[in-house]
Amino acid sequence: MPMGHTATQQAGSGGLKATEHRLANGLRVVLSEDHLTPVAAICLWYDVGSRHEVKGRTGLAHLFEHLMFQGSAQVTGNGHFELVQGAGGSLNGTTSFERTNYFETMPTHQVELALWLEADRMGSLLTALDEESLENQRDVVKNERRQRYDNVPYGTAFEKLVAMAYPEGHPYHHTPIGSMADLDAASLEDARAFFRTYYAPNNGVLSVVGDIDPEQTLAWIEKYFGSIPSHDGKQPPRDGSLPEVIGEQLREVVEEEVPARALMAAYRLPHDGSREADAADLALTVLGGGESSRLHNRLVRRDRTAVAAGFGLLRLSGAPSLGWLDVKTSGGVEVPAIETAVDEELARFAEEGPTPQEMERAQAQIEREWLDRLATVGGRADELCRFAVLHGDPQLALTAVERVLDITPEEVRAVAAARLRPDNRAVLVYEPVEGAESADDADDTDAEGEAAQ
Amino acid sequence: MSDAVTATMTFHPQPSGGAPRPWAFPAPERGELPNGLTVLRCHRPGQQVVAVEINLDAPLDAEPAGLDGVATIMARALSEGTDKHDAEEFAAELERCGATLDAHADHPGVRVALEVPVSRLPKALGLLADALRAPAFDDGEVERLVRNRLDEIPHELANPARRASMALAKELFPAESRMSRPRQGTEKTVEGIDAAAVRAFYEAHIRPSTATAVVVGDLTGVDLDKALADTLGAWTGGAAAPRPVPPIVADDTGRVVIVDRPGAVQTQLLIGRIGADRHDRVWPAQALGTYCLGGTLTSRLDRVLREEKGYTYGVRSFCQVLRSTAPSPSGGSAGAALLAISGSVATEVTGPALEDLWKVLRTVKEEGLTDTERDVAVQNLVGVAPLKYETAAAVAGTLADQVEQHLPDDFQAQLYARLAEAGTVEATAAVVSAFPADRLVTVLVGDASQIAEPVRQLGIGEVTVVSG
Repeated sequence: MPMGHTATQQAGSGGLKATEHRLANGLRVVLSEDHLTPVAAICLWYDVGSRHEVKGRTGLAHLFEHLMFQGSAQVTGNGHFELVQGAGGSLNGTTSFERTNYFETMPTHQVELALWLEADRMGSLLTALDEESLENQRDVVKNERRQRYDNVPYGTAFEKLVAMAYPEGHPYHHTPIGSMADLDAASLEDARAFFRTYYAPNNGVLSVVGDIDPEQTLAWIEKYFGSIPSHDGKQPPRDGSLPEVIGEQLREVVEEEVPARALMAAYRLPHDGSREADAADLALTVLGGGESSRLHNRLVRRDRTAVAAGFGLLRLSGAPSLGWLDVKTSGGVEVPAIETAVDEELARFAEEGPTPQEMERAQAQIEREWLDRLATVGGRADELCRFAVLHGDPQLALTAVERVLDITPEEVRAVAAARLRPDNRAVLVYEPVEGAESADDADDTDAEGEAAQ
Repeated sequence: MSDAVTATMTFHPQPSGGAPRPWAFPAPERGELPNGLTVLRCHRPGQQVVAVEINLDAPLDAEPAGLDGVATIMARALSEGTDKHDAEEFAAELERCGATLDAHADHPGVRVALEVPVSRLPKALGLLADALRAPAFDDGEVERLVRNRLDEIPHELANPARRASMALAKELFPAESRMSRPRQGTEKTVEGIDAAAVRAFYEAHIRPSTATAVVVGDLTGVDLDKALADTLGAWTGGAAAPRPVPPIVADDTGRVVIVDRPGAVQTQLLIGRIGADRHDRVWPAQALGTYCLGGTLTSRLDRVLREEKGYTYGVRSFCQVLRSTAPSPSGGSAGAALLAISGSVATEVTGPALEDLWKVLRTVKEEGLTDTERDVAVQNLVGVAPLKYETAAAVAGTLADQVEQHLPDDFQAQLYARLAEAGTVEATAAVVSAFPADRLVTVLVGDASQIAEPVRQLGIGEVTVVSG
């Protein structure tokens, strides 16, 4: 392990341990004790996301997530929020391509309340769901879409990149926020059918992390969730397999009222859970993560052609992951100048690979990001659910950093050579226009891979 | 079917909760290095990423006339090379530690925040000390930062929330007040900044004797005294002359400014004035009342605007301290907080949404808050404390805020008891006085052709339209 060096003895897991359990109805449970501070996180992942949506109903998984906060058999109206916040807790839910999660962080003595609330909506949401809630939350979600994507410069860039990188008809072709037309089309019966199909104990993983007594916690989980019937209604997502590379350079030029030219691009990268995905993470960090990356040094520091330049990674397990390049130009610089420089840097990197110093820096950055994730009980609970739902084993969360530190420079070079190529990218160019009408008909868009309640 | 599902689930009564386990906001240990640097340290078991916050007494109103933004450029230039490393090397060395270093300038002063895994704390402290003690302020690097800043300005102006914030500051504060102008300067002022101006600002205001370092994290096995002596202890500088602190005044005559954005699908709203800061006895009641008004989606504003009408993804009210100093012996405080309501609503319902918003304000005044909502607010604001302060960075941030606002180190710890003591009547009085319906300045960033007329009809003040 040539570059492997860790900031902590436990390589980032902080001595975290987790136990696994399964109720008779199929609900998987992960528990992890930590008594340093009197709080605990309850996190429930359902194995359903926007990839399960069908044509004409994009955005339904996320809209449905909102409906989960509108009450259930024993919880009236906004009771989920009122009860949790009134107990000194915090809560939310988010929807991404591959899952929907609900989470509460509670003072220790209120853990049971959060379990009761999650069980109530898992088992009885439909007794409370009505047309009024749906109409209201449809409007709220449409305003969420306007606020986060449609009314912000470059706000729909991610949606456009995703639509190019994953072809028409592919389950990841659209983002979780969905289109305005589809949000308008969603009916109460759609929401009911969605719940009956995907919301069941055997399609979820519940983790409880923090200042807990595991035996007591498990007894509560059995008490509240144990009688919820399982069912086999779940439909597997449509096949997300795609060729490893796009095979050509796709390109879209957007003329919009934006403050500066921009060059963005999406690259298809290896599936999450593979060594190659970790290698890609390191490659993107060396090339475009932080202020000592190659693209920042080249475009922002030396050429002075960009305001900001960087790479992001969206890890996906059911389809190729997505590497996202984002460069905003400086002054009157034209896009081809940027594109040439980016191509030079990527080609050079594919040939030479990272230097030992770059490898050390990238691993140190990723390790710190991981330590940040694990610094809160909520972050830990979410990671345990993620590895349980998407990779079948929550224990993998405890060794994730070690796997990144085990990657060799040659693996980093190899993944860059294989994937960060012009014939494996969808390019999005922004050309500013003077204050005309709003350029896009707000019909198909989003920007983060995730939409929160 | 749903009936079949619910029929087979066994329901249990809502659990009542156990006894709370004690938790207190951590008490820092206060000390001073021989060079005059104040140090607050706080051991937080399990927090492997250590947070270091530096307060520098370099407020925005100390910027020379016509050079708005020089504090920002100086803050950024601190990490662009030192007497040991050039800019690229410095960034590389920091990242080699797995560290992040952020610096920004605001009205009370400049803040520098370091986060690093504890095993690399001594090395990262060394880099931080170099940045403070011997920044290079190379001509070329400063010129690059200035150009970069000029490139950022159009992006900020295009952002509806940022644009609203700038417009409100311009309306509220007199033109001669630094607070009326953008914190990071305008195109005109930033253009005039060079390395000499940055160095002059640094030499006038940056010294250990007026600075504070806050260090929070799992410090088990760390010889922090030695690490500090070897790093920040080597920083030298003279004494500072006392600086007068101008009082903060604002014109909250009720009025509306529309920043025109033809075609905008939403209207960004920011409605505010200034009011009491943390030194004022009313602060706990004001915090409670403001939470009841718009702290969360079950508060008064979102209960109507979001959960009943669906006009918005969320509207929040908040109190954000602008600048504070300890009250003078005569009792007068020179500090103030921005008291505001912000959010965005669909363009076509802008008029009705504002009408409902004002109705909520008037109802609170006429009918008062209820005991139940006051109780829930207390339970939330007090109860979430252990969650809110799980990480070292959160604790360090609050400790540094206290230093910056001239508050005692146990302010936050005491605040929880004071929140619990504030009653419904006090919370109502505080929020009514914080958000009087006839003394609020409203900024709307949106499509004037669609929203100006409906807003005029509301009678919430004279309406002016400015170009976006």
